[in-house]
Amino acid sequence: MIDTQITKKPKTIAEIHAEHKKTVGQPFCKDAKFSTRNVDVFYGDKQAIFDVSLDVGKHEVVALIGPSGCGKSTYLRCLNRMNDTIDICRVTGQLMLDGEDIYKKSQDPVLLRARVGMVFQKPNPFPKSIYDNVAYGPRIHGLTTNKAELDEVVELSLTRAGLFDEVKDRLHEPGTGLSGGQQQRLCIARTIAVQPEVILMDEPASALDPIATAKIEELIHELKENYTIVIVTHSMQQAARVSQRTAYFHLGKLIEVGDTNQVFTNPAHELTEKYITGRFG
Amino acid sequence: MNTGTIVLFLLIFAGFNYFIKHRKIYAVYRVNRKKQSNKMTLPKYFGYVASMWSLIPALLVLLVIEIIDEPLLKSNITNYVHAENIEIGQDLDLYLNDIKNIKTDNIKDVDPIKLKVHEHYQNFETLISKAKTIIVISLAVLMTIFGFKKVTINTPARVYFEKVIEIILLLAATIAILTTVGIVLSVLFESLRFFGEVPILDFMFGTEWSPQTAIRSDQVGSSAAFGAVPLFVGTMLISAVALFVSVPLGLMSAIFLSEYASSKFRSFAKPVLEILAGIPTVVYGFFAALTVAPFIRELGTSMGLSVASESALAAGVVMGIMIIPFVSSLADDVISAVPNAMREGSLGLGATKSETIIKVLIPAALPGIVGGVLLAASRAIGETMIVVMAAGLAANLTVNPLEAVTTVTVQIVTLLTGDQEFDSAKTLAAFALGLMLFVTTLILNVIALHVVRKYREQYD
Repeated sequence: MIDTQITKKPKTIAEIHAEHKKTVGQPFCKDAKFSTRNVDVFYGDKQAIFDVSLDVGKHEVVALIGPSGCGKSTYLRCLNRMNDTIDICRVTGQLMLDGEDIYKKSQDPVLLRARVGMVFQKPNPFPKSIYDNVAYGPRIHGLTTNKAELDEVVELSLTRAGLFDEVKDRLHEPGTGLSGGQQQRLCIARTIAVQPEVILMDEPASALDPIATAKIEELIHELKENYTIVIVTHSMQQAARVSQRTAYFHLGKLIEVGDTNQVFTNPAHELTEKYITGRFG
Repeated sequence: MNTGTIVLFLLIFAGFNYFIKHRKIYAVYRVNRKKQSNKMTLPKYFGYVASMWSLIPALLVLLVIEIIDEPLLKSNITNYVHAENIEIGQDLDLYLNDIKNIKTDNIKDVDPIKLKVHEHYQNFETLISKAKTIIVISLAVLMTIFGFKKVTINTPARVYFEKVIEIILLLAATIAILTTVGIVLSVLFESLRFFGEVPILDFMFGTEWSPQTAIRSDQVGSSAAFGAVPLFVGTMLISAVALFVSVPLGLMSAIFLSEYASSKFRSFAKPVLEILAGIPTVVYGFFAALTVAPFIRELGTSMGLSVASESALAAGVVMGIMIIPFVSSLADDVISAVPNAMREGSLGLGATKSETIIKVLIPAALPGIVGGVLLAASRAIGETMIVVMAAGLAANLTVNPLEAVTTVTVQIVTLLTGDQEFDSAKTLAAFALGLMLFVTTLILNVIALHVVRKYREQYD
């Protein structure tokens, strides 16, 4: 009698996590933009990511969700080698963009970052004018040959980011004077201006109010026509609204990947279910 | 009793009052503390306020007495001298000084009249000293008792204590400001005396500097020309050379330390770089005079240039090395202080590290960088030792860094060293030069402030 009671005691979250070996769901897809296999990331001696394999399809929005410190931002920052800026960070495994290894010796990380743009958690416009903020990328990459072309790129980028009408009369005022939501859209415009193929977003709306958040989400909807987007988010509703596929990370392991609808309505893994039903996290 | 002993007594009173007040309030405090609803001020504050009562009024009175002490003595002796019809035969101040300095153990060499005055002086001084002691100590005792009675459990002790702290801080700030104003005014008035003898326009726009005044009319080579232009041109020339060396080197090493070097290397290299500012300038001076100047002269000769053995270039280069840390240390700090989000934003757009530094970090850190350069510039303008040793004393009006020049500070030193009378045009010229130097650095500061405000890129 007593014995059976002990065996029936439910496993703790930590035990489930420790037992987890293989990602559940469909981490791979046919027409992959990014394809990563067996990625491990170390900060010094501490391992932050364990054996993550995941594909990101062309013109797809993939949401990375999971509790704080689960490694989703770390994984995201591997995709444009932003982790290079941290001395003690070490990445192993295979990461391919269009079938090319992005960590190979001959890869220029600067060129990679021009192809894979990034939007950060806290809006970080440069302390320059709105125009100069957007023109920054085109100027350093020499994307335009004259002022008229540059003007056009700036206008187009701001329009795509849904900001042009709000700022067209004050293009030469500092970007830091905008509201938080406008600043974030300015950062998105700045990223678009470089004409990247992929946009990585690291909790782009977590510092914004609900209305600004709604605008950003609307923008993501429009952007996915032209770009591949990988977005890290804390808000499950946001993941459900904007993404086609969702990947659930837990303490550095990729637990489950699947169709967003399926992950939120019928999760295959116990941990995913516990997380999306708010049992922890 | 002398002043030091009196202050010691006051401190003892204050300590005593603190101690007994603290004990008394603490007895009440201990009982009240048990009840949660009864929040009360810590007993030490009552002690502080009580001790302030014994200390501050007595100290203020002591200060006043100390201030009026000297004039009182002087007028008393003057009156005495007049009453006794004593012939002074010299300047009154000097006479008083003589009187004060008479040593009583060596009476036989001293003029008996002076001795008499000295006796009177001593009597009066003892009287003042006694009066001082009695007034201050009795006031302190009274105030100690009064303060002890006055401070009760209902006194808002914390509020009073905060007020006292505020006043002390205000006093500290006032002393700093008053000192500055005092120095400026003193320099200003001495300069006005100088401009009474030498026309201000001759001083500011004259191109010949030769401050030796003729003592006899037939003396040769002592024209007493006070044209400050060569000095200022010399100062600017040497400072420009110094900044030309230190700004690029300092800025680049700052960028390397803050953006490229590993934290291990940085923690080692930064203090080493800062040691440069700690080397005594006289060491730099002989380094400049004995090593750099001959080297530059030989280099110049080998290229067919004529270089003076003491040249502005040698002094400037060595000075530039000396002020590198002023630029690099401050620039390093402000570049490091630019938020990481700026770096990531730029790198994330595919900018290289150097593009990020030039286009984002330096504009954002500009105010601090200009501040560092300005600090270095004021240091270069005010530097004396290196110039004395390496650039010479000849007041040549030239902008050729290969010739010997002299600077304002060096001339001030030569004007005031040795035996001098303090009312000749020659010595007063030092004050005028000091004033000009002060105004120049002030103008530089204002310009730099303006530049920074115009071009800074504010991040938040």
